[in-house]
Amino acid sequence: MVFSDLATQTIVNGLLLGGIYALAALGLSLVFGIMDIVNLAHGHMLMVGAYIAILVFAATGITPLVGMVLAMALMFGLGVLLQKVLLKHVVDEGLEQPIIILFGLALILQNLGRVILGGDARTADIGIPGNGFDIGIAFMSFPRTVTFIVAVLLIAATWAFLQYTKTGQAIRATAQNRTAAKHMGINTDQIYVITLGIGTALAGAAGALLSMLFPIDPYVGWSYLLKTFAVVVLGGVGSVLGTLVGGLVLGVSENLGALYLGGGYRNVVSLLIFLAVLLVKPEGLFGGSGGGE
Amino acid sequence: MAFIERAPGESVATDRRVLAVAALAVLWLITVPFTTTDSLTGLILTGLVFVMLGVSWNLLAGYAGQISLGHAAFFGMGAFVTAWLTTPTAGGFPESIQLPVIPAMLIGALAAALIALVIGPIIFRLSGHYFAIGTLALAAVIELIMLDRRDLTGGATGYYIQADLSLGEVVSHGDVMFYLTLIATIATVVITYLIVRGPTGLGMKAIHDDEDAASSLGVNPLKYKMYAFVVSSFFAGLAGALYGHYTLYINPQSTLAVTWTIDALVVVILGGMGTFSGPIFGAGLFLLLDNGLSAIVSGYSEAVEGILIILFIIFLPTGLYGLFKEYLIEETDGSDGAHD
Repeated sequence: MVFSDLATQTIVNGLLLGGIYALAALGLSLVFGIMDIVNLAHGHMLMVGAYIAILVFAATGITPLVGMVLAMALMFGLGVLLQKVLLKHVVDEGLEQPIIILFGLALILQNLGRVILGGDARTADIGIPGNGFDIGIAFMSFPRTVTFIVAVLLIAATWAFLQYTKTGQAIRATAQNRTAAKHMGINTDQIYVITLGIGTALAGAAGALLSMLFPIDPYVGWSYLLKTFAVVVLGGVGSVLGTLVGGLVLGVSENLGALYLGGGYRNVVSLLIFLAVLLVKPEGLFGGSGGGE
Repeated sequence: MAFIERAPGESVATDRRVLAVAALAVLWLITVPFTTTDSLTGLILTGLVFVMLGVSWNLLAGYAGQISLGHAAFFGMGAFVTAWLTTPTAGGFPESIQLPVIPAMLIGALAAALIALVIGPIIFRLSGHYFAIGTLALAAVIELIMLDRRDLTGGATGYYIQADLSLGEVVSHGDVMFYLTLIATIATVVITYLIVRGPTGLGMKAIHDDEDAASSLGVNPLKYKMYAFVVSSFFAGLAGALYGHYTLYINPQSTLAVTWTIDALVVVILGGMGTFSGPIFGAGLFLLLDNGLSAIVSGYSEAVEGILIILFIIFLPTGLYGLFKEYLIEETDGSDGAHD
């Protein structure tokens, strides 16, 4: 009997999903922590990444795991362009301008997604949904397991990049104190460009992975924005490890919520957790490490 | 020589020519149901709903400085509470609570204000980015719950509202709704004007400009935020009630979806955030774009809206009002032109 315990299975599935949530949230968290901007278009960027993988898969049959690399490259470019063209002049000018520019970008991406692909939900079903293996307490489906491993590897790579490269150190220095970093000779403009590029690329990667598990439609952007922001709040702005923990917590609680309250409440559970955490500690559970309000 | 002259800090709205233009606009609006087709009347009614949404969102965001992304929640709840009162059985309520349309709408708007009153002290613990995303999440929670409660809302299918207001053969339901919407819009504009011109408006501007400084000078930020939030929600709820009872159909997506928040925001950005007449101009331009332009760019109207708000916020942050001000209004002395 594979499903010996429905709750255990649900928790395992939640953990596997949570890894991708963590990856999706990492980009949002980095940009928030370093640039003090909440990327309102983050969920829509994730949607675009998913569509790139879906289109590549539909046209050539190439697995979304490879499509993900293309999605990351293209989305990195989009992030760089976004910073250089639109956000450069407003990034340090308070809340209103950046938030409205990113809101506008979300509208544009959502519209393009709908026009190019139609309003229907699509997925990159790689055709081995039933396959997997039993680990005794639960059944591990291949797509979920593989996407989880890839997500965690990407998170680890991002952490190593921030920890051990010169650019990564400059990024962390900028997050700690923008002005001081500038005085130390760090080109903060350049840091912002790289940060938004990485943040956007990570959104694209998470989207490509999610396209292997769930149908994606042009309107999922808002929902994923809220999910990823919930992870950021749970994990603390700018904290890589915190984001991983937050993602896992969100994945598990969503799945348990869907199990016990009904599928319609999957998203309600994550939003309520999110609002509850915000209200207990408005700057996030482990807040204060990065920029933030 | 500019069209209008004014002293610093003085309101443009007291200029007789501005009042005359406003009066002419209202007179023209009164003739609309008799001089145009039903569909055009409906279109202009929608424009008035956009004015109400824009003016109310602007009070909260432009004046009190609280960028809310949850405006749709109040629009939708105003629409639903009103629908429950006019058509109780469709929402699973006893027929005995049925009310005539106008009191039902007022209660719907009050219900939206009441929700704001209850939620306000909690949600205002958040500030800046957290407030924006928190309100977006709150609106999403309300939409999802309402979508799930099929017994109350008809779920995704929704239901038809029974509230035919036509007066015999002469005045159709749409025309009656048009006049109600016109009256409500004028009330929204006048009341909001009185608020932002009065001491409460000054308090809001103070916390918008620098909350900490205002607080240290004895201004209670929460009081002014709450004031803006509750009034803003009342008018958003009223707009929703009117819109729902114009279309005579309601479901969670048609009234609670994030698109209404987007519309409010686009109207205000196009017109000029934190300027009093901005949302009124903005609603006009938005209506033209939403209909005229969508015929030209077909499926791309949403993207065009996105591009426009980006261009406006970068190059013309004071919106259409800023353009008007530059060419039509001349300051007689000094340059205190902000927040009109």
